[in-house]
Amino acid sequence: MQNYKIIIKLAWRNIWRNKRRTILTLLTIVVGCAMIILMNAFAKGGHDQMIEDAVALNTGHIQVHEEGFWDSQTIDYAFKPSEELISTIEGHEAVAGYSRRVHAGVLVALEDVSKGAMIQGIEPEREKTVTNLHEKILPGGRYLEKSDSTHVVMGEMLAKNLKVKVGDRISIISQGFDGSIAAEHLSIVGIFKSGNQEYDRILMLIPLSQAMKTFSMMGYVNSLVIRLGDPDEMGEVIEACREVTEEYSYPIEVMGWKTLMPELVQFIVMDDVAAWIFDFILFMVVAFGILNTIQMSVFERTREFGVMLSIGTQPSQVVAIVLTETVFITLVGIIIGSIIGIGSSVYMHFNPIDYSAYADEIAVWGVNTTIFPATVTVANVVVTGLITFVLAVLFSIFPARRAAKLDPVEAIRTL
Amino acid sequence: MAIIQTSKLYKDYATNGVTVKALRGIDLTIDRGEFSALAGPSGSGKTTLLNIIGGLDHPTNGQVTVNDILLNEQSAKELARIRLNRIGFIFQAYNLIPVLTAIENVEYILLLQGVDKEERYQRSSEILREVGLGDELHRRPQELSGGQQQRVAVARAIVSQPDIVLADEPTANLDQKTGAMLLDMMHDLNKKKGITFLFSTHDQMVMERAERLLHLVDGQVADDEWKKK
Repeated sequence: MQNYKIIIKLAWRNIWRNKRRTILTLLTIVVGCAMIILMNAFAKGGHDQMIEDAVALNTGHIQVHEEGFWDSQTIDYAFKPSEELISTIEGHEAVAGYSRRVHAGVLVALEDVSKGAMIQGIEPEREKTVTNLHEKILPGGRYLEKSDSTHVVMGEMLAKNLKVKVGDRISIISQGFDGSIAAEHLSIVGIFKSGNQEYDRILMLIPLSQAMKTFSMMGYVNSLVIRLGDPDEMGEVIEACREVTEEYSYPIEVMGWKTLMPELVQFIVMDDVAAWIFDFILFMVVAFGILNTIQMSVFERTREFGVMLSIGTQPSQVVAIVLTETVFITLVGIIIGSIIGIGSSVYMHFNPIDYSAYADEIAVWGVNTTIFPATVTVANVVVTGLITFVLAVLFSIFPARRAAKLDPVEAIRTL
Repeated sequence: MAIIQTSKLYKDYATNGVTVKALRGIDLTIDRGEFSALAGPSGSGKTTLLNIIGGLDHPTNGQVTVNDILLNEQSAKELARIRLNRIGFIFQAYNLIPVLTAIENVEYILLLQGVDKEERYQRSSEILREVGLGDELHRRPQELSGGQQQRVAVARAIVSQPDIVLADEPTANLDQKTGAMLLDMMHDLNKKKGITFLFSTHDQMVMERAERLLHLVDGQVADDEWKKK
């Protein structure tokens, strides 16, 4: 616009005519923006942490199985990882580690107790690059080692239910891959407390080499678990694996963590919806705050706008003056609010909320995350700023048009 | 040469279901360079006539032309353009823009007209000096007296060299002495620059100094008195 300089000058001076009102409006925008950015940062940080915890504990980012295994979780669904598949996984730069596993449901027998449990045959050294269960071993025990054979690590609650401790021996009985009876005596070398009640109640780990023998696997495994260094590359890695597994004579499923843990995805979606509702309420508070300020400001200046229109100011220029006032207040508010929002999010990233004192209560909900950091993203800040800006401008159009449509004669008569 | 012409000008207002006839067929011609006043009691139609001539209000019937432009046919946008370029306004309550200084208030009109910065400043400061405000260029309206504010309003009205200046009760808020000084100043501008002034007034002093006095009664010109030609 040709006369933008006078419009900017008028708008800037007008917003400081009523300092208290402008500062209150600024505060509404600043607090609103900062809170939205911080809450979204907590949602993002919390979700990332929950995904990381779930992936790191046992599931991994990607799993490869014979089709049907994940639904049935029985030893009958097994496959032989081909050299091409292994080299594809090892060769992909996004892959941090992988491990082969045998899964079997077993009956654990002691002299006077027997309990159902789940055994995972794992490659101890490789497993450390995929999961962090080795960090959850309780004092007095140890994780599995490469040289181990009939050794077992089990969950704390399972040990409690079986009334066993490190150094005790247990017997297991199950069915082998070939249909034979699988039975073994195992020595307990460690007990873990994962924070996930299900794992702590039923999971036992034995070396993969021993599981191959005990369950007559003949080189077959039930799953191949992959951990990624860069989770954003998950789609590409899945695609690369699928290209190789298409060569198998039987169907193979390659599943990402979202398919492996749909309940976690559902939880995150529900949490996001709650966050959006909260964001919406905050955005509306900000927008109505701005509407109120601009409305009052226009109302108080009815006579002035009447004069401006009388002496030849075009209605579109009046609209521009009012909208420019909104733009000034909103931009200043967004900048300060974003700085505070980013600052507080960064602080809460390095000083996360620690709920570890309530770990047992949280575990009841199937969540093993106790540390909730805030993670601020560019998208969070940009989207918050943009929505605030657009809403502010939209909500100012009504009072701006009202000012532009004033009847000059009537407006000048206004006291 | 006629600068304003009205022909059979009628204006009706409907208030609470009652129609008030503010103007009843006014035929009027104002020539370039006149220093004229519309006088009459409250409700006689002075301000209504001034508003219609200024393109701020529409007649119910009849025609009004300013410098041969028929205002009846203009859009709101075009009327705003005509007001900006051809008509200067002086209001009873000064009505300056409070966030702008004296010179910025005067420059505002030139800015809307797209005049460049240097010329804008030069013309505005010159006019303000002419009206005796050379030392008050950068003061805001609230820092000026009523008389000074009205002089800024006069400067704003004439800075764009309009065809006509319409002044609605310009001395009503001023004391006798300040009002007289302001009238002298406007008369001087009329003589020196040939600017056409049309006042609406109650003020005896304005009526005395006007060269032509049009008495309005009940929306009609009751008397057209030429005191000086």
